[in-house]
Amino acid sequence: MKSSIAVVADADTVTGFKLGGIKEGYVVESTQEAEEILTNLIKEKTAIIIITEKIGEELREVIEKFTKSSALPMIIEIPDKSGPSHRATDPMRELIKRVIGVEMVK
Amino acid sequence: MAQEMIEGINPTRMELLKLKDREKLAVKGYSLLKEKRNALIMEFFNILERVKGSRENVEEKLKEAFEDLTTAQILMGDLAVNKAAMSVKESIELDIDSRSIMGVVVPVLDSTSSSRTVVERGYSFVDTSVKLDEAAKKFEESLALIIELGEIEKTIVLLAGEIESTKRRVNALEHIIIPRLENTVKYIEMRLEEMERENFVRLKVIKKSMEME
Repeated sequence: MKSSIAVVADADTVTGFKLGGIKEGYVVESTQEAEEILTNLIKEKTAIIIITEKIGEELREVIEKFTKSSALPMIIEIPDKSGPSHRATDPMRELIKRVIGVEMVK
Repeated sequence: MAQEMIEGINPTRMELLKLKDREKLAVKGYSLLKEKRNALIMEFFNILERVKGSRENVEEKLKEAFEDLTTAQILMGDLAVNKAAMSVKESIELDIDSRSIMGVVVPVLDSTSSSRTVVERGYSFVDTSVKLDEAAKKFEESLALIIELGEIEKTIVLLAGEIESTKRRVNALEHIIIPRLENTVKYIEMRLEEMERENFVRLKVIKKSMEME
């Protein structure tokens, strides 16, 4: 199976990951642009899409629609240059709490 | 709730047999689903061990990488860094497989990221700084971590969804469907016994009245 990785992020992040050896990097400025590119990438069956947390925050619903049920694509959110954003609730933690029923110390 | 049962059932022997079959099936399904749920939760705990701290690792590594990148940009200028980045060769080979945990298909990634030497990256040395090499190296490393994190998080999300739906089914069977079937079976049995007694009495009365004549 041919599989690929793509980065959809701001200019610096894309430059960084290009240095790290990813060919497909898309610099996006607006939310709309990001959504278009994401949809295209998913259509082309890109396996892993790396996005910044900022974009992730804005496109939460679109992303969830694609990732809820199927194994691929994997959309991974990473912090950008300004460091990890401090979300009020960690979505992973929420999920674990809901499933297990008790708070797990992570 | 305690006496809830299926509506519109005729108290006949035929229905009773059917219901008993259904109850047997429900109990069997319940125990199977319970086993599935337990297995899933066990698997879930295994994966939780792996997720511990891996996001923090990624964040840490990326922070270092961005610091080096910024330094490189300061030393060489944005344009030169971009130019170098354009000429970097693809570093990661990704093999995606899938594994099934109790029917949940989760991805298994096999990435072979050869940590390359400086020469293999593909940009020229003439106009690049050492910091750029370091930034590239750190981005490569963080990429491997990110892929691993992605695999784990995806697995967790998928498993969690399956656990939730299995849980719901187990609970529905345990608390609603099985008791309802049991109550209905009991009701029909009682009705049948009652009818038998009625018949018995009726026969006795008839017999007595026939003897009287």
